[in-house]
Amino acid sequence: MNYQAVRAVFETPLLTAYNSLSPAVPVYFDNVMNDGADSAEEFVHINIQFGLTTELTLSDNPDRIRGVIVIRTYTPKGRGPARNQTLINVATTALQTINSTPKPASGVYVRTGAIDGPSFSPDFGGTTPDQQSRRAFTPFFISRIEAGFQAQVIS
Amino acid sequence: MARDIKFLVKDIEDATRKAAQLAAVQIMNGLAKAGPAYTGRFSSAWYAVPKGGSVGGPRGSGSIYSYDKRNVPLARFQAGTWYQIRNGMPYADEAMDLAPYVPEPFKKQAAVKPQQYGSRAPGARRGDLSGAGKNTITAPLDWWARYNAAGQLQADLARGFRAGFGEARGFQ
Repeated sequence: MNYQAVRAVFETPLLTAYNSLSPAVPVYFDNVMNDGADSAEEFVHINIQFGLTTELTLSDNPDRIRGVIVIRTYTPKGRGPARNQTLINVATTALQTINSTPKPASGVYVRTGAIDGPSFSPDFGGTTPDQQSRRAFTPFFISRIEAGFQAQVIS
Repeated sequence: MARDIKFLVKDIEDATRKAAQLAAVQIMNGLAKAGPAYTGRFSSAWYAVPKGGSVGGPRGSGSIYSYDKRNVPLARFQAGTWYQIRNGMPYADEAMDLAPYVPEPFKKQAAVKPQQYGSRAPGARRGDLSGAGKNTITAPLDWWARYNAAGQLQADLARGFRAGFGEARGFQ
């Protein structure tokens, strides 16, 4: 099992995509200290988790790694959703590119499920007036997308 | 024992309702185990309700709640109704990392699940700890998304349906 290679399939293109923006947007992955949250105006947080790794069948227990990737983009609050949507669209595009990459002869083959989102918080739909909400204290406008994935390590 | 074919449709309907009931129990137990548990109240506040229905409050504290069929009455499952499994705690969105964590005063006590320590930046999610600090979590960031999308939900659903059809008449 090569969880690191599976993780790299997602993290590498996302990091490249955000680094190629001008200016580059900081990306924080799992277990990387986010020391810019109180100084940077915008950043991206990517969380990858693994769920079931094998699939039990009648006579075998083959590898079938499943997991979820959650991407959040943080932008300044109170300035409208446009910048945030631009940033989350970078992630959506990267995931779609990963999803359309042909199966390699070796390495890791990944397919995602439906991309869920983006959802935004604090909600700007008016259901909870932000200034009356406990979330009024949150300094960022945050969007979130998530997608389940299946990965196969081809040796 | 053989059973007359005329019962087939009714047997399937009954089996499906039982399967939905047991699947809901399995999923609620799966969520309780996967999610955070400091007081245990959040783990006890999962409800299977018709879409848009209201949910109740916590059923207990001090441990990870264990759900059984009594928590999901069979009569609730009617044909043509969509069901949701939702948590009734007011801070459920924060506990599921769907909304930023808002610190509030709370009574310190022994946590039901083991705690991890770190520092949570302002506006960060409940599970978003880094470095050293005094903030704590009892479930990792995005445990909810992981449960939903990384296979555990499907596994619990399948287990519940297998059990439900196994209990139903005509499917032994």
